[in-house]
Amino acid sequence: MAFVETRILMVEDDDGIRTSVKLGLEDEGWEVVEADNGEDALGLFSQAPTDVVLIDIMLPGIDGFEVCRSVRRTSDVPIIMITARADTHDVVAGLEAGADDYLTKPIAPKELSARIRALLRRARTTDATSSHLTFGDLEIIADEGVVRKAGEEVHLTKTEFRLLVELAATPGRVYSREVLLERVWEYGYFGDGRLVDVHIRRLRTKIESDAANPQHVVTVRGLGYKLQT
Amino acid sequence: MTPFRRLGLGARISVAFALGGLVLSAFLAFATLGLTREVLLRQRENAARDLALNNAQLVQSQLTEETDPSELINILGALQTSSSRPLLQFQEVWQGDGSGGFTQESVPAGLLARVTSGGAGVLRTQLDDELAIVFGVRLPEDNAAYFEAASLEETESNLRTLQVILFGAAVATTVLAALLGRWATSRMLQPLSDVSDAAEAIAGGRLDTRLDQQVDPELASLTSSFNDMVGALELRIERDARFASEVSHELRSPLMTLAASMEVLENNRDHMPVRAATAVDLMSTDISRFQTLVQDLLEISRFDAGSAALQLEPLAVGEFVRQATAMTDTTAIVELRPGTEETVINADKRRLAQVMSNLIENARKYGGGATRIEVSATNEVVRIAVDDAGPGVPLDERAVIFDRFSRGSAGGRRGADTGVGLGLALVDEHVRLHEGQVWVTDRPDGKDGARFIVELPIETPLDATGEGAT
Repeated sequence: MAFVETRILMVEDDDGIRTSVKLGLEDEGWEVVEADNGEDALGLFSQAPTDVVLIDIMLPGIDGFEVCRSVRRTSDVPIIMITARADTHDVVAGLEAGADDYLTKPIAPKELSARIRALLRRARTTDATSSHLTFGDLEIIADEGVVRKAGEEVHLTKTEFRLLVELAATPGRVYSREVLLERVWEYGYFGDGRLVDVHIRRLRTKIESDAANPQHVVTVRGLGYKLQT
Repeated sequence: MTPFRRLGLGARISVAFALGGLVLSAFLAFATLGLTREVLLRQRENAARDLALNNAQLVQSQLTEETDPSELINILGALQTSSSRPLLQFQEVWQGDGSGGFTQESVPAGLLARVTSGGAGVLRTQLDDELAIVFGVRLPEDNAAYFEAASLEETESNLRTLQVILFGAAVATTVLAALLGRWATSRMLQPLSDVSDAAEAIAGGRLDTRLDQQVDPELASLTSSFNDMVGALELRIERDARFASEVSHELRSPLMTLAASMEVLENNRDHMPVRAATAVDLMSTDISRFQTLVQDLLEISRFDAGSAALQLEPLAVGEFVRQATAMTDTTAIVELRPGTEETVINADKRRLAQVMSNLIENARKYGGGATRIEVSATNEVVRIAVDDAGPGVPLDERAVIFDRFSRGSAGGRRGADTGVGLGLALVDEHVRLHEGQVWVTDRPDGKDGARFIVELPIETPLDATGEGAT
């Protein structure tokens, strides 16, 4: 059987945490490559194909945000940020640097594993949605995973693409943050709404002519977001 | 302590000022009145005496041995007596000017005796209920005596007016002195009252409160030493708060390693000897407790360090409570009172979720499990009540139950399942951060059990996406 193991790159400077989480993740069936600093991580990332990247924000040298941005420049691989606390700007900064999701310490390997699975699952389910949709100058070819704006291909991350396809499933319908969190991130009611907000913001900078005055993905005050037909 | 001492310093100084003012003004008033009275009466007396002497000479010049007593009235009538009344004794006949009032009986006996014996005299006396001056002189050639009474009423009336004025002035001075005392003390006590206000603010948690620097050198040393004290206190409190936070933070990394390694051990539990597996189970339970404790400590130390920030978003309370309850394994019934289905508040979902889970967990540990969760609302507040079926909370424990590490009588036993006593303290902190309050009462249905009530203010909800208008 041509089974290719999912390769996870983990950047974490604390040896104990890194080693124990690696053991835990390996028990869950993942292949884990470790790095204890940003430079090594970027080196490893460029050497071999990686399916998921786990980045601890607090790193010596190049910090987690920078690692995240560097990875994002060349790849749309799912990135999970590990932050110290949830109520700081770190979360939004991490998401803006390109992370798809974040977890707050302490993280348990099983929980982390579930998050990785959710990210990989939705990255693959996009294949199942097959349709060709056009909204003004915006063209979504779901089965090819391609989005074109005024005929030119727009490069979206898997999460951004999934978010757009979700909104495009019923154009004009208002999706609440909770619904999007559940459909795109597989979070329940208590998921963090900032995930949606930051991804919508990122999506807009790519598909809107003027991100401050969006024509496609619009905010419906008090309710959520919708894709304008 | 005397009643006077029981008054405040300010009141005592005011009273002292008032008393001083009273004594001084009363002394001045009395002295003024006494002196003025003497001078005025003396003047009036002199004027009356001069007039009377004049009149006496006139009378003498007209009197002869042969003068008939019936003519006396004419003689007297010709005198200048606009403000006085004459009385003439002539050969045993007493004659007034006909206006009456001043008669032989009115002449004081002493004066009469003196005049009869050949002298002259002046005497003040009461005449017809008013003060008068009586003047008498012997007219020796004619075997006569001339008397004249002048009323002092006008002078007296002037003096009475002066008395009223001086009394009024004394009262006004006293009041002014009291006011001056009050003003002076309030000026003097202002720095003390500033210190008191500042101390209150500091006690209320505003540790950055400082006194304004004073120009007055005596006060400057008070304010600067007060400010130094508060500064030292603030530093100390911050260090303590940071210490708790740092310790928890430092504990978190090794704990995470322990927990992750524990997961690996648990994955292999089936391949372990029974004794090792039991040890793993024990460790696993305590690592979880340890982790909860460190998490709670870290959370609570952020309140102390003042770094706890609300992440507000509009929250439909009914849906939130249903979801938060579903997250736990409670069998409690969620009841939304009419009208609460649409109630939306601005709240930090993560913190409120912890509030709910801690209350439900508390009910599970000490109250036989939550039985009912009720959401009710008024125009201003929304209330979430969690009922349990336990023994309830005794009255004297109701306030302290929210203190840190207070577990009440119900939490006395220490087992694997009991908490560390931070759950309700965190509930209290989270709720207060939302400017709400939490308290515990008896169950309203009269059955055994406690009811924990969380009350949160309702304000205008924010935009649901937390974004600006785009």
